[in-house]
This record gives sequence, C-alpha cells and structure tokens, in this order.
Amino acid sequence: MQLNFRFLLKYYPMLLKGAYKTIYISFGALILGFVLGVIVALMRQSNNKVLKTIGAIWVEFLRNTPFLVQLFFLYFGLPELGIKTDPIVTSILALGINASAPNCEVIRSGLMAIKKGLYESSYALGHSSFQIFRYVILPVSLRIAFKPLTSNFINLILTSSVVFSITVNDLMGTSKTVAAQTARPFEVFIFILFAYAIFTFILSFVAKIVDKKISITL
Amino acid sequence: MFEQYLKLTYYDIFFFLKAIWVTLWITLVSIAIGTIIGLVMGFIRNSKNKIISAIPLIYIEPLRNSPLITQLFLIYYGLPVVANIVLTAEASAIIALSLNTGAFFSVLVHNSLKAIPKMQWEAGFALGHDGVSNFRHIIAPQFIRLIIPSAITLYINQLQVSSFVSLISLIDLTKAGHILTLRTMNPFLIYGIVFVLYFVISYPLSKMAKSLEKKIAFTY
Repeated sequence: MQLNFRFLLKYYPMLLKGAYKTIYISFGALILGFVLGVIVALMRQSNNKVLKTIGAIWVEFLRNTPFLVQLFFLYFGLPELGIKTDPIVTSILALGINASAPNCEVIRSGLMAIKKGLYESSYALGHSSFQIFRYVILPVSLRIAFKPLTSNFINLILTSSVVFSITVNDLMGTSKTVAAQTARPFEVFIFILFAYAIFTFILSFVAKIVDKKISITL
Repeated sequence: MFEQYLKLTYYDIFFFLKAIWVTLWITLVSIAIGTIIGLVMGFIRNSKNKIISAIPLIYIEPLRNSPLITQLFLIYYGLPVVANIVLTAEASAIIALSLNTGAFFSVLVHNSLKAIPKMQWEAGFALGHDGVSNFRHIIAPQFIRLIIPSAITLYINQLQVSSFVSLISLIDLTKAGHILTLRTMNPFLIYGIVFVLYFVISYPLSKMAKSLEKKIAFTY
C-alpha cells in the first residue's frame, strides 16, 4: 500500500483545533502542577511533622500509581460525591495533580541546594522570613530547578495525550477520529507522532537557551 | 433482578489476579527487551565516530519526544493497514513498550558511560588490560553502579505507563478496574483497590531504588 499524506491537508483545521486543546490543557495543568508542586515542596521542607508526612504520602502515592487510573478515578469518582465533571476541567485537574509530584521533588532539590549562608546573610540584611522566602530563596531555587521543571513539562504534554480516553478532543483524540474517518491510521498516527516530537523538541531547545541565560552556580 | 451483579464477588479476585499477571507480564517482557535494545543503542551512541554515534538519535529522539499512546496506536492500528502485519493487542503492546523503554534506557546508558572519566580507561590500558578485559574489569563495575538506580526508576515508570495498553483493548489492571467500575457502579472502591495494587507493586521498588542509590553511590 502506498503512503499518502495529502489527505491530511483536508483535515488540518480539525487537527489544529485538537492541537489548540492539547496546548490549552497542558498549560492549565502546568500552572496547577507548578503551584501545587511549590506548596507540597514547602510542606515537605517544613519542620511540622504532620505536614511533612502528608507531603510525603502525596508524592509517593502519585508517583507509584498510573496516571490513567488517577484520571479515571477523578472522572468517574467525583460524580459520586455530587460534583459534576467536565472532561477538560477533569483532565487539567488530573494532569496538574499528577505533575505536582515530580515538580515537588525537583523544587525540593532546588531548595536543598541553597546553602545556609544565604539565609543567614539575608537575615543579617534585615529581611523578614516571608521576604527571605519571596525574594531570595524562591527565585534562586527556581533557577536551579528550571531545567528539570521544563523536562517535567514536556513529560506532561506527552502524558496529556491519554485524556482522549475521557472524551476530550485533544490532538490525539482528533487524530483518532481522523484515522477512523479516512481509514488511514498509519499515516495519521505517524504524522501525529512527529508533530508531538517536533513540538516538544522545539520546547526543550528553547528551554535550554533560557536555562543557559538564567542558570546560576552557588 | 440484576442486583447480584452489582456486588463484588469472590470470583472478581481471580479477575484482578489475572489482570495483575497481564500487567506484570507485559511490563517485565518489555523491560527485558527494552534493556537489551537500550544497551546496544547506548553503546553505539557512545562510539567515537561522530556519524555512527548520531545514528541512534534517529531512533531515540522521536520515541522519547512523542506520546507512548501514539506509538501504540501506530503499531496496533497502523501496521495492519500499511504493511499487512496483523498483531495481537498483547504483541503490539510489548513491541511498543519495548521500543519506548529502549529509547529511554539508551539515554541512561549513554549518560552513565559519559560519567566515567577517561582516565579510568587510560589507567586500565596502562595496567596492561586489552579493550575487552578493560571493559569487563574496570569500566563495567562502575557503569553498573552508576546506571542501576536510574534504571530502576525508569522501570517503575514503565510499570505505570504500561497502564496505557488498556486503551488498545488489553485487559490489564487498569482495564479490569474500568470494567468492574462499569459493572458495580462503585468507582471509589474499585479504583481504590486498583490504586492499592499498583502501589503495592511499585512502592517497594522505588524504596529499593532509593536505598540502593545511597548504598552504591560513589564519587571520583
């Protein structure tokens, strides 16, 4: 059978819409995952034992169970509690929660890389502990954690492709429809594979350049 | 009349056990094949010739930067149409996961080999080892120590990711949970059980990776 990619031209508005949805979901989950990651990282770094344990359980649970089950749990489980689930909102929620675990680990290693002298000198300069956190600790540790955070983000984009299983028409879901309509799954999926690959490749390339600009050595 | 089907029964234990077996089987086989692919590709990647060392990138980069589910669909739905190769769901799951594991593992191999200083090779040669015995006695022990913790982390990740095979109609643990949820209408209980089962398999492994990392860590 001959490979033929020309039919994709006809479907490109549809695929573009799907790609837009993928980006929308990924960025939503990026923000949620980042915020949750910072919160959980701070919980794990705190001196309070209860907070520490909750943070540890949160991370270990999310890292040791598959994303797909978490997604299904939220999508089919939340209606039991009387909360209506929207596929897109649920997928952003599930992806964000899932991404918070690796993000937390990365941010925590950034926090741990900060030497004690930095705390002490900012105390000596008269900052309050919130100011130290906001203006000294967080920026420095995020700069250290930037590179692994971007690789987590790329991982998140790739993982977001399974949200089609809860009826979201993202890039993967649309491509499945196109494959079924045209009966040419090979061409469609290989096109989608390279679309994802090129997109994430560009992202990691940009991240590398940014990382070079903002990276610091302590 | 249908109330009896809404409850979990004694027989569902066997359903879960069978599903666990499918998950473990697919994960273990694909890890084994993937490790071999990764070792071969990683060593080629580490060759001194720049052109040869770039060849594996053609295989590694697309697989690492694209979703596993696309690779699965490509093999399961795509190959029969294009090449007339009809694979069972199990076979295509194993092929896709092996190739995926191989791509990630070859990067680990490459990084671990790069982390071993050149002096180690030179010192080995100076002591009279030839290439093979140099690798066998000096490089390999360091290489294994460097790669094991990250390899276990990758394996755990592949176990999680193997849940994607439920989307190509293979009844693994995730799919079993899904089927039982649809039957019993009790997502909290069923997915709770599935969570626990996955956790029980993967948590000891991740603890082991952490303790091994501490135990076998060394600095040059």
